[in-house]
Formats: sequence, C-alpha cells, structure tokens
Amino acid sequence: MDIKSNAISDTDPVRVNPPQAARALGELLRQTPEYEAFLKALKAVNNDLTVQRLGAQMRAHQNALQWGRDGSDQHEAELMRLDQELENLPIVQEYRRVEAEIIQLFRAVDQIITQEAGVDFALNAKRSGCCS
Amino acid sequence: MMITEEIIAAACLLGKSLHEDEALQPFFNALWEFQADDEARSLEEQLYATYHNLLARQQAGEQLSRDETQAFYELRRKVQTHPLIAKREYELRLIKPYLAEVADEISAILGVDYTILAQPTQ
Repeated sequence: MDIKSNAISDTDPVRVNPPQAARALGELLRQTPEYEAFLKALKAVNNDLTVQRLGAQMRAHQNALQWGRDGSDQHEAELMRLDQELENLPIVQEYRRVEAEIIQLFRAVDQIITQEAGVDFALNAKRSGCCS
Repeated sequence: MMITEEIIAAACLLGKSLHEDEALQPFFNALWEFQADDEARSLEEQLYATYHNLLARQQAGEQLSRDETQAFYELRRKVQTHPLIAKREYELRLIKPYLAEVADEISAILGVDYTILAQPTQ
C-alpha cells in the first residue's frame, strides 16, 4: 500500500458533521479504479448464467440442509462440490481478485478513520444481522 | 494500491468529526476512565493473554483441564463485571447505532455495505 501523504492539518478550518464527512468520503471512494472494477465484476457475476444456475442449485441444497431433509451428508457434499465449481469459474476468480483489492483499500481507509476517531469505526458500525 | 491524498484527507476529516461529535463523548469519557485505571487495564490484558494462550494450546491439540477453563471463565466474569469496563462497553453499545448510521451514508453511495468490506480481520 502506498499512502502518498498523511500530513493533514490539525486545524481544519471547516467543521463538518460525521454524516456529511461520510458522504464526501463515499463519493471519493466511488470514483476509485478499485471500486469501478469491483462493481463491474460484481455485475458480471450476477448476470452470468452459469453462476445463476450454480447459485440456484446451491440454494436448493442449503434449504434441504436447513429443513433437515434426508441425506444431509449427500447435500453437504454436493454443496461443497458446487461451491468449488463456482469458485473455479474464471468470472468468479476475477471477482475474488477485485474484491480482495477493494477490501484492502477500504481497510486502509478504515484504519485512518479509526485512528482519528479513537474508536474502531467499521467494526462497531456493522449492523448485526439476524443470523450473525 | 494507492490511496490518494484526497481520500486520506476525507477519511481523516470523518475520523476527526466523529472524535469531536457530542454523541460520542460519553463513550470517550468512559474509555479514558478505563485507560487511567491500572487495575482495569491489567485485568483486561490478562484476559486477552489467557484467551490467546488457551486457544493456541487447544488448536495445537492439547486437552485443556477443567480447572484452567473454569479459571478463564472466572477471569472473564471479573472483566465483564468490572465497573469501568462494564461502563465502557455500555457506552460503546449506545454509540453503535449512530456509527452504523454514519457508515450507512458511505454504503448508500457505494451500493455495497462499507462495514463488511472495511472491517479488520478478527
């Protein structure tokens, strides 16, 4: 990671509230090549027919496991096989590559926010899902 | 990967605005009280050290004794019920919804959950 400069003045003349500052940061992140590549790869994966087919098959096995239908071992094995097939697709591998890049960028950004804020930002801002 | 100066400045500004936000001051006050208390800090450090030690040994295949695990749970109870630590955690819980709202502003622009992509590995 190359951080060009972290020399930010301690006396910012303009005081903004956190939501405003978050929107400004969001706009800048949206314009990065990493985000554009991520969005492109995400759309490509979501529109890919093979991915959709594998996704539907995986959901069927997940449902069977969730409802405890017969042959749990078989469903688990099939789920693992389908997952492997999915991850081996070039389009998914490209998605994983750009996903790793955007994660690296966002984590670096989050470290800066956290350091200035004095509290872990993303970690504490995460909304807990019902099943998390 | 390169972070532009503009992004660094914007991230710093967001961090500073959070640090100065009135809504977060009760949490920072509780945090400073905790940090100023040697006993509380030492107790929490001891918990983390014990946890990592036990976890590493367990992952290495060692069977932990009942006494050891009970001692760990007792230490965890002491940490969780320490007034300064409990206060800090309580205040942290109170500011989480606000932090989530702020993060939502970023996520809304990006169309993806910023917090999932940005949170450090545990």
